[in-house]
Amino acid sequence: MNGALQNIPPFMRALIEQQFFGGLTQKGLLGFGWNHPIALAIGTAVALVFASRAVAGEIESGAMELILSQPITRLNYFTGHVLFALTSIALMSLIGVCGTLIGIQVYSLAPLEGAILFKVAFNFFLLHSTWYGITLLFSVFGREAGHVAFIGFLLALVSYFVQVIAQLWTKAAFLLPYTVHTYYSPQKIFVNGELKPISVIVLLGLIVVSIGIAGWRFRKRDIP
Amino acid sequence: MYSVSIKNLTKHYGKIRALHDVSFTVDEGEIFGYLGPNGAGKTTTLRIIMGLVYASHGSVQIFGNDHQSSAIRNDIGYLPGEFHLYGNMTGQGLIEYFQQFRLQKPPVLREQLLNALDIQPSDLKRKVKFLSHGTKQKLGLVIAMQHDPKLLLLDEPTTGLDPLVQKSFREIVLDRINNRRTVFFSSHVLSEVEAVCSRVAILRAGELVAVESIENLRNKMVRRLQVRFHGSVPGNLASVPGVTRSQIMGKEVTLWIRGDVNPILRTIAQTEVESFIFPEPELEDIFLTYYNREG
Repeated sequence: MNGALQNIPPFMRALIEQQFFGGLTQKGLLGFGWNHPIALAIGTAVALVFASRAVAGEIESGAMELILSQPITRLNYFTGHVLFALTSIALMSLIGVCGTLIGIQVYSLAPLEGAILFKVAFNFFLLHSTWYGITLLFSVFGREAGHVAFIGFLLALVSYFVQVIAQLWTKAAFLLPYTVHTYYSPQKIFVNGELKPISVIVLLGLIVVSIGIAGWRFRKRDIP
Repeated sequence: MYSVSIKNLTKHYGKIRALHDVSFTVDEGEIFGYLGPNGAGKTTTLRIIMGLVYASHGSVQIFGNDHQSSAIRNDIGYLPGEFHLYGNMTGQGLIEYFQQFRLQKPPVLREQLLNALDIQPSDLKRKVKFLSHGTKQKLGLVIAMQHDPKLLLLDEPTTGLDPLVQKSFREIVLDRINNRRTVFFSSHVLSEVEAVCSRVAILRAGELVAVESIENLRNKMVRRLQVRFHGSVPGNLASVPGVTRSQIMGKEVTLWIRGDVNPILRTIAQTEVESFIFPEPELEDIFLTYYNREG
């Protein structure tokens, strides 16, 4: 198989080795499952829906006025939404781990170290929590869930494709640090066992900053 | 102690002035009406009181405390003018969901409200999205009032309610006053405010036009009367006490009357009349009264 890889155009080989299959090894293919467009789309969709509905959606529907007229603080309301969303994304990551373990069992594959599974699930959690935080930031400034979700979707889509293109086209490589998906690398985690500290720092930083600013803004804005 | 104290309340949305220098108080145990046309700033005022909107200037106190405090909302029941209830919840589920925000204040009025507002058990079992607008409005009233709040803030509360239920609503409000509760409700319908309120604040284009007792309002208000006479028009109509202005077009006369209407009615009763129209006063009539322009 590796011999076959040598004969394909370089950019296709880079696509297979880096973006998709991690070099056509078992671990690489398992890693691809965590980077499959459908898996990413589902994770991102969950994050976008939670974020867009948390503030903009409730304002759009008129429910926010009734909720905040109850004896709860805006901080409590906001924190509740954030905790619920992050817990849900964590559960999604856990479901991914369960799926991987089931697949290993069913197809009698070589077992994986627990640390690798933890790292890939954590990376998956960080990626989609980042999209949640960024979309939440738009949500607290907005009034319509659909608009907010669309903005989040566009940003996620652009990030994904810019990252793919920048990996294949050397002239665009300078864009890599500016795309969120650059810091999500399940194949490298499966193949090399490494989750780079910079990935954790950048994604965590984006999550903390976006949710922090969103919380500050939510406490200051007029409803609606 | 005042239930609500508003001083120099001003709100700007960019260049748009929603409220300008509004000041008034609402006494404990009072039914206070907040009257004004659509877009006058009534809802903005209520939202500022509830801490949903931040004032540009001025202050609001509820029971002498900062209105922004979430704890104070334990003693407030609020019904927004337009609101959304979670469509996939049942009526019963919704009422209980909102009660959970006030676990220390049991829903002592819930059964009474459900009966008075004629909410059927079948409505409570049905999902909210399948209920009529009027039934949703009734559920909103139950949510706002079930915990027997000291202060009720109601934004156009009878919208979508049929006349019988409106009557029940008025009875509920009057019952609350007997229990030393305060009711503050906004409306653009004068008759609704006249029926229950002791005092009313009149708002127009973000500015307070007047704060009056209902009795003073009735005495000051100029009302229009249109009469079509069978024979000739009596010549002394303009001089009848209470008539501030008259307009004669053939056999049809329009009279503007302030205060007691009995003198003009006694005068007209002495002649033969083809038609007699004495419509409910509209908000514009009130504004014209206070701006000293008639008709």
